[in-house]
Amino acid sequence: MLRLSILPYLGAVLMSLAPLRAGADAPAEAGRPASTARDSAQRRPAPGTPQALLDTLLFNPDTRTETVTALLASGEAGLQGLFQNLFKGNVYEYAGPESGAAGRMLVIGGAEEERDNETWVPLLRVLPMEPLKTATGGPAYAKLVDLVELETDREVRAMIQPVLTAMDLKSPDRLKRKSAALALGETGDAALTPLLKTARASETDAGVIQLMDEALARIDLKSADPAARAEAAARLGAIHSVNVLPELKAMVATDNPAEADPRVRKSVDKAIHNIESFQSFTGAVQNVFTGLSLGSILILMALGLAIIFGLMGVINMAHGEFMMIGAYATFLIQGAFQKYLPASCFDWFLPLSLPLSFLAAGGVGMVVEMTIIKRLYGRPLETLLATWGLSLLLIQTARSLFGDLTAVSTPSFLARGWEIFPQVVLPFNRIFILFLTAVIVAAVSWAFYRTSLGTKIRAVTQNRSMSSCLGIATRRVDALTFGLGTGIAGVAGCALTQIGNVDPSMGQNYIVDSFMVVVTGGVGKLAGTVISGMGIGTLNKFLEPFLQSVYAKVVLLGLVILFLQNRPSGLFPAKGRNEDT
Amino acid sequence: MKTPRVFGLFARRERTALVLAGLAIVVVPILNAFGVVSDLNLNLMGRWFCFALAALGIDLIWGYTGIMSLCQAVFFCLGGYCIGMHMLLKTGTKSVYGSSLPDFMVWNQVKALPWFWEPFRHFPVALALALAVPVAFAFVFGFFAFRSRIKGVYFSIITQALALAMWLIFLRNETMLGGTNGLTDFKTLLGFQLSDPSSKRWLYVLTAVILALAYFGARYMVGSKLGKVLVAIRDSEHRLRFTGFPVTRYKLFAFCVAALLAAIGGILYVPQTGIITPGRMDVKSSLEMIVWAAVGGRGTLGGPILGAIGVSLAYSFLTSHFPGSWSYFLGILFITVVLFFPEGAVGALAKLKLRRGKAKPAPIPEASHASQSDDDARLSGTVLAAGAGTALTASAETTLTANAATTNASAASATVEATAVLKESV
Amino acid sequence: MTKRILHVEDLMVSFDGFKALDIAFFELEEKELRVVIGPNGAGKTTFMDVLCGKTKPHTGSAMMEGKDLVSLNEQEIVELGVGRKFQTPSVFGSLSVFDNLMLAFKTDRKVWRSLFYRLTPQAKTRIEEVAETVGLKDALSMQAAFLSHGQKQWLEIGMLILQDPKLLLIDEPAAGMTDEETAKTGRLLLDLADRHSIIVIEHDMEFVKQLARKVTVLCEGKILTEGPIEKVQDDPQVIERYLGRSHGTRAEKAERLATAPAAVGSAGGNP
Repeated sequence: MLRLSILPYLGAVLMSLAPLRAGADAPAEAGRPASTARDSAQRRPAPGTPQALLDTLLFNPDTRTETVTALLASGEAGLQGLFQNLFKGNVYEYAGPESGAAGRMLVIGGAEEERDNETWVPLLRVLPMEPLKTATGGPAYAKLVDLVELETDREVRAMIQPVLTAMDLKSPDRLKRKSAALALGETGDAALTPLLKTARASETDAGVIQLMDEALARIDLKSADPAARAEAAARLGAIHSVNVLPELKAMVATDNPAEADPRVRKSVDKAIHNIESFQSFTGAVQNVFTGLSLGSILILMALGLAIIFGLMGVINMAHGEFMMIGAYATFLIQGAFQKYLPASCFDWFLPLSLPLSFLAAGGVGMVVEMTIIKRLYGRPLETLLATWGLSLLLIQTARSLFGDLTAVSTPSFLARGWEIFPQVVLPFNRIFILFLTAVIVAAVSWAFYRTSLGTKIRAVTQNRSMSSCLGIATRRVDALTFGLGTGIAGVAGCALTQIGNVDPSMGQNYIVDSFMVVVTGGVGKLAGTVISGMGIGTLNKFLEPFLQSVYAKVVLLGLVILFLQNRPSGLFPAKGRNEDT
Repeated sequence: MKTPRVFGLFARRERTALVLAGLAIVVVPILNAFGVVSDLNLNLMGRWFCFALAALGIDLIWGYTGIMSLCQAVFFCLGGYCIGMHMLLKTGTKSVYGSSLPDFMVWNQVKALPWFWEPFRHFPVALALALAVPVAFAFVFGFFAFRSRIKGVYFSIITQALALAMWLIFLRNETMLGGTNGLTDFKTLLGFQLSDPSSKRWLYVLTAVILALAYFGARYMVGSKLGKVLVAIRDSEHRLRFTGFPVTRYKLFAFCVAALLAAIGGILYVPQTGIITPGRMDVKSSLEMIVWAAVGGRGTLGGPILGAIGVSLAYSFLTSHFPGSWSYFLGILFITVVLFFPEGAVGALAKLKLRRGKAKPAPIPEASHASQSDDDARLSGTVLAAGAGTALTASAETTLTANAATTNASAASATVEATAVLKESV
Repeated sequence: MTKRILHVEDLMVSFDGFKALDIAFFELEEKELRVVIGPNGAGKTTFMDVLCGKTKPHTGSAMMEGKDLVSLNEQEIVELGVGRKFQTPSVFGSLSVFDNLMLAFKTDRKVWRSLFYRLTPQAKTRIEEVAETVGLKDALSMQAAFLSHGQKQWLEIGMLILQDPKLLLIDEPAAGMTDEETAKTGRLLLDLADRHSIIVIEHDMEFVKQLARKVTVLCEGKILTEGPIEKVQDDPQVIERYLGRSHGTRAEKAERLATAPAAVGSAGGNP
């Protein structure tokens, strides 16, 4: 059995200090030129040494599979590089001045370089893996076309695969360790148990431990001993291994179950139940979470709209485009950071973008108010048309300036997530948006109810002529209010770059939704906007598993229409005595 | 008394409309038969008339009743899809894949015709459905919306949401309506080859006749007591309610009539264009229809028709000569009309006329005089609109002699000409 | 014995817990002209809103001809014979005065009937008659939006007359009118009282005196007192409510209330 024969090597790999340790303790003779087949008999220290096997690999194409097997069995730690590159098809036969008496040698190709329209490959020795030197002491290069790839068949690769995977168990990168554990579990090969156990013992990361435990139990699930199988199933149930669910289900399938022993089946049933209830729980958690983050984008959009619509009576169809302005402002700032500032500062582009996108969108908003909107107060339907025209202009302008689709990268501090349970990760970027929304809602309510500008805004929107008589500069307040509303949309745009692409028509995707939020919430009260935004966001996410997203949206629109049947003025209608005319 | 003067006014307005209708229905097709007007341009005009039908509907619901409905394009497309489904079934095995199923179904590996396609095999049923489906849809939606007194911008936003929802549904492949690519590859209608120039000519004539009928029908409607009720809804809905009118039903009626006009437009549009896609019913399309009415002058009937034709003319011209400029043009048009010409071209011209009239020393108007001069303003507006119409038709005719590439340039110059004519006539 | 046309019991309206209206008992006889007065926010307009179906009360009933107005919608209430004139003149601005009156004229108001409606000579005569009554005969072809404020008020009253209701609810008909116009409006209402039952809300005490009928005083949603104008004027409670406790003797207050309509008018006047 080939797989069994590689075990000594696997052990060696795990015992050795992880990746490339080559060079230092490599055998002294490794550095000498490769020998020919003819004189290798005298030269090689003993049959089966790694160096001899490498020669065989080179000169005896017919026995490659056996040779690789032997190499794997040799336990030579310095050969990791060879295996990795063999797997990638990166090991070549090389004939050049450096290849010594034999005229040919095995080399590993480094990163390719383009020179004079030709591809050159820096050459590395196989054992130890180090750069090959020319006679003058410089690094040796060869044209890619002059190299002959050492061909390996699928069988060889299949043999190398678990070795590489096992090596990954020791990788400093936790993602690599995770995928290695997952892959080893899937093999179900009992021979791998000791490896996993050793790795498990020194592992500290909870997520990796989870997968290693899972892999171990999974291997046991294939055991011939029913008791071991039942126990493995119980373990899987206890750690809520969602990955193994299909396998467990197959064991107890109604027709043609894979498991015959009734006791084991009982245990498996219980495990399935455990896992499934855990799954529905985490599903709910994740739905609520994505719903909330979608809702918070809607709230950011709708908050600005609610200010503009609720307080000024203006239907701002270009609101989505102000969001787009915020997103492009973020995009430009990111570009400036990349171009003018050192890479270490790069992450700071986002904190800086937040206020700048507010100012950009708010500034454009104020200009729009002063040129267009101010002539249209008291004519909401006209504002709808004019701002829609404006949105066309803004989209087309963005398209001619920036082209179609771009994206803003996520700063490293938002790139990861918070793993609230194993297998349930809440991405930081979405948490960031939730947090941002909370801050902005708080800031806006503070601004409205605690500052003099807020008081003025409310005064002007309630009774313009009276406010003007009291000495409030109504024109300025109007512009500021509109600027505030559009500025918040800009911030929404900045936030949106963290979870989606940036394109000129991005605002269009949100405009109808956010109007629904405003209408459902009722104008005039921030609380209505917040509640309906969250409601519509989470409802949308809850409907999606049952219906496709398009139909979820359609159903949602239907629900809103039905809701307005009963409450035509939304959740929190503006109440007053004289609401006629 | 008022009545005789009103009749006089009607007579003049209708005379102009009749002349225009005569030109469109009789003269243009004859010119086409003699090759003076190219088939392509005739077809283009036929399509514009379809848009004009939808715009007329917008005028009734928005211009007269004051309800801005942002889903008119949905009704247009519902009508269009119904007739498209019929024509596609008639294409049968002559399609690209040679299957009796429409091509897109073959593509989507559908084995049997979905049940709701079956009725569309027969033309009378398909036609009835093409008219009934949009109206029924408008009825149900309008019933719920108006019953709960959703009005003003709320209604606009809800109808916009409806348009979005419908668009999303039609985009899907599994709704069996062709998805993004819509319905196309129509060959025959009632046994006539659609590619045949004479079929095209008859379709054009049919469209022009129906547009004329719709115009006069609408003219009768707004002149009747019902029309006054609609205006009353716009002016003061609650006063009307407390006068004892079932306001909801009147609104529903206007909404359904608007939907019907749009559906008729859609039914006539699809055979002339040869394709219908969900792109015709997105949120933007409905707003464009609103612009047609706004540009021409809402509440004037003639205005929206001219607006639809004029804006479509501009579209053809700009997209072929200045690609990419269309969005800018449309955006600026929206803003300009709203800011400076809230009553549209017809209204603006009427105002201009009024200002000139006032230039000569008039006695300080007693109440009734004011009314009279206002009536005069309307009258002159109409006449001017008619003038504009003639000019446009003229421009279309000159256009028609040119070939497709140069068409739009001459059309544009003709439009300039038309404007000049208008200014002169003022 | 005169017949009752309206019988109101336990009518209560509250907005967010604030009791806008709380009428335990109110009755109106046929062909009676009742004036309702009261300070701003007393619930006068809310009372009318409830009677014509604009506002739904939380509890209570308002019986008219054996039917409870509370359970009917606006249109059914109009059909039952209740007409309402709003505080701010509301007419159809883009229609001519004639068309305004024509729409109000009591006919079948169904959609299809309206589409094929032909004005009968009788209807035309009647409309012209009413136009004469409200003094708008010369303005029939004029667009209603161009009427003066007073003319709009009259047009609305004219429309109400053509509706031929049994009960007219008239909210501040004299608001914003000149003295002459006010007097004319008063005469018009008195004329109407011969054939209709009327409830008028008014602030202007001169005008109320001109009508010289039974007065109901509303305050904070409740009926404070009812009776002839002279009696109400002398009622200590009313004086208290209108003019406050702290100023002058009761006699002085009564004097002020009687002689200075503006005091009441402006105190309760609407913007």
